[in-house]
Amino acid sequence: MAVKGIKSKDKHIINLANIIGDARSILYHTEDLIAYDCDGFTLHKHLPKAVVFPKNTQEVANLVKYCSENQLPFLARGAGTGLSGGAIPLNGEVIISLVKMKRLLSVDLENRRAVVEPGFVNLKLTNSIADKGYYYAPDPSSQYCCTIGGNVAENAGGAHCLKYGVTTNHILGLEVVMPNGEIVEIGTNGIPDAPGYDLLGLLTGSEGTLGIVTKITVRILKNPEAKQTVLAYFDRVEDGSQAVSDIISAGIVPAALEMMDKVAIEGVEAAAFPVGHPRDIEAVLLIEVDGIAAGLDEQINHILEVCKNRNVREVRAAKDEAERGRWWANRKTGFGAMGAISPDYLVQDGVIPRSKLPEVLNNINKISEEYGLRIANIFHAGDGNLHPLVLFDARKPGESDRALAAGSACLQVCADVGGTITGEHGVGIEKREEMRFVFSDEEINAQTDIREVFNPHNLLNAGKLFPMPGRCVEIKRDLKEKEAAIS
Amino acid sequence: MITADLLTGLQSFLPQDQVIEGGKQSHPLGNSGQVTVFPKSEEEIASVLKYANDNGKTIYVEGAGTKKGFGGLTESADILLSLAEYKGIVEHVPGDMTLTVKAGTCFAELQDYLAQYKQKIALDPFVPESSTIGGIIASNESGPKRLGYGSARDAVIGLRIVYPDGKVIRAGGKVVKNVAGYDMNKLFIGSMGTLGVVSEVTIKLRPLPKYESLILLSFPEGNFEQIRAFAIKLLDSMMEPVSLELMSPSLSERLTGKTRYTLAIGFEDVENSVHYQEEFVRNIQPDNSELEILIKEHAQRFWDNFYSIAPYPAAHGGSKETNAVLKIGVINLDVLNVLKESQILGDSHNLLVEAHGGLGHGLCQVNLKGAGEDVVSAIHEVRDAITKLGGYVVVKHLPFALRKEVSVWGDKPAHFFMLEGIKTKVDPNRILNPKRFVGGI
Repeated sequence: MAVKGIKSKDKHIINLANIIGDARSILYHTEDLIAYDCDGFTLHKHLPKAVVFPKNTQEVANLVKYCSENQLPFLARGAGTGLSGGAIPLNGEVIISLVKMKRLLSVDLENRRAVVEPGFVNLKLTNSIADKGYYYAPDPSSQYCCTIGGNVAENAGGAHCLKYGVTTNHILGLEVVMPNGEIVEIGTNGIPDAPGYDLLGLLTGSEGTLGIVTKITVRILKNPEAKQTVLAYFDRVEDGSQAVSDIISAGIVPAALEMMDKVAIEGVEAAAFPVGHPRDIEAVLLIEVDGIAAGLDEQINHILEVCKNRNVREVRAAKDEAERGRWWANRKTGFGAMGAISPDYLVQDGVIPRSKLPEVLNNINKISEEYGLRIANIFHAGDGNLHPLVLFDARKPGESDRALAAGSACLQVCADVGGTITGEHGVGIEKREEMRFVFSDEEINAQTDIREVFNPHNLLNAGKLFPMPGRCVEIKRDLKEKEAAIS
Repeated sequence: MITADLLTGLQSFLPQDQVIEGGKQSHPLGNSGQVTVFPKSEEEIASVLKYANDNGKTIYVEGAGTKKGFGGLTESADILLSLAEYKGIVEHVPGDMTLTVKAGTCFAELQDYLAQYKQKIALDPFVPESSTIGGIIASNESGPKRLGYGSARDAVIGLRIVYPDGKVIRAGGKVVKNVAGYDMNKLFIGSMGTLGVVSEVTIKLRPLPKYESLILLSFPEGNFEQIRAFAIKLLDSMMEPVSLELMSPSLSERLTGKTRYTLAIGFEDVENSVHYQEEFVRNIQPDNSELEILIKEHAQRFWDNFYSIAPYPAAHGGSKETNAVLKIGVINLDVLNVLKESQILGDSHNLLVEAHGGLGHGLCQVNLKGAGEDVVSAIHEVRDAITKLGGYVVVKHLPFALRKEVSVWGDKPAHFFMLEGIKTKVDPNRILNPKRFVGGI
């Protein structure tokens, strides 16, 4: 039964519409597709062939099966907040948008688990169980709009993963549509250590290249009894960095330990959530401890002492929840805040061993001078996850390229001190080449070998994650030829 | 003759004293080798694997041999690759709280070393003084404190793996947060050495707790509804127990002297916090239950005893009785049903059963002891019951002869083709730990 209202002669569009059974659940006009030509990484754009909005797992499976049988490249997309280009349809993919699969399917407080559809928004999960005193731990800054399906694809982190871990530490089970359309269930009932290789761990963070997640069982946690948050201003970045090391060395496991440098402070203070940070300091630390209330004072006192020993200009604890909320809003909107002081910005996501912080910040400063671009630093200092924000103006010829090169240079610095090129944003398109900073060809091949097991024809989200330009071009050409032959 | 060729072949690239003929006496737990090799470097591990891969030889891998009774359907491979001589700390950066070690390093020695820095690996495996870090990772061992600290998949941040063809692959790295490429670490954790030989492990560390205590809450009436209600109340509170492990009366008797269902509730934090939580538990203590608090080294001593309850292969032999250890995974609170079921099983099959399970994480261990045929029929029965609960049973320890009579890993999962696909891709000649894992992988 053909769906009415499809104004396209393309047989694939017609067939996809028929699978989904609703003309309003497919986009195929160029003007509708433009919104999908990139995600949170905007320096690379490409139009998809179509965007389809399935409502359930079976529809996803049917769509995937059709794409697979007809050699149509395809990919999954959530809210499109990804920062590395993982949802960009490089090869003119059919985008399978999961935003209509957004139900909270079940909550089981006694066994501390919840089951959600992939389009369910991260923060909504916490909001749905907050009245019972529970929450979902991974808290990427975009949590008010990003989807848990996307979090699984990217193995998203957040400010509080220092203590509580990233997405992979909270995923107990997945229902996945494989690239051939088969539906499989991994981690049945959310029971840990299911016999077999840990596919939950492999799929989480595979950036949508191994399968499409259609149902997710997550671990939920009880709220900590109390939280205390401290703000510390430093005149020297070195002192701030040393304070970070000292806190960790003291055996304290903060729930979050965030740092912003001078340029970042200029940005957040000029944007929507200023809190009155002094403009002349070099670094601000935002430190949060949580847990049993009776144990927090001791930790807070220790932290205050550490900061004083490191020449802090001013350090104080949040006086109430409202103040704590303002501090966090200021920090969590930090990336976007750069828009207030620069027409464009590029976010990077390197990770370094904590102890290398002063050295790396120094080198990032040098990169800033060398490329003639300001770089703001906002980072999860506790786990060494840096977010250098390269500020630039895309209207000026060549500046976008220079920003990209500066970002890449920052990642090289991270890799050189034994770190890595991405801690939570993923490789996507953006850091494909930088994978070579940390992995040998053999190691990259070992990973693509695994991809071949799941995604043998590389129709699902091709061209992401791995630096194989030659091969990608070949596949593209191959696909184009096939498409030409079909139509 | 074949063994002689093998010896000659291996001795062509390994020093003679690192190659030992070992096929004369078969071990009752199987997983032996015609020849045992003791590589001392990663290059030597790689050359053994390459030799086997090129010459169609099979390899079993072991650390200290504590998991000899875990899986495996052939008595002996051509080569037993022991990592006992590949040990030592490669790098410990106290400020970064990361540690890189060679796979054959003894777990307890690592913890002793780290204690000087007030740090620890946040895993609590059985027989820590005999287990190697590599073996713990390869078999994904965890203990009751998993509730508070997670498991190997949460602690491991990097691995070096020698592939069957001899190439060395790094997975992850040395930083605590890393999403560059696939999370390959996960593939090898718990893979029973069927994909590669883990040569080096990088782990993120935790600070040693400033204070610890253990509450032993025993239930003389053995009322499961009461235990359940208490557990739910505690889990629904904001207390942060690192363990909430229910022990069967038999196990409790061995460890505490009381033949009763007993909860082992651990608290590890600054002292104020621990006392506050103890007080909380006292306040919700159910009627007719008995509460005892062990502090600091007393708590540690309890745990030391706890971790030694598993039957250790070195002690095997002599006894006519058969030991079996089951790992059972269920939905958290179904742990109560597992313990109930194992108690019934002991009575109906004339077995000594010691069982425990974590009400906050759903993993149980059940130790069975008795006549071989009774053990086997008990395993079948418990698996039927657990399957109905939606859980699984893995036989962690059983003599070789009986492993053919029960499926160690249970039925193949529906997604077995993916597991098989990974194995075929990584170890196409199937030289590594053949038939030791799920579905004959």
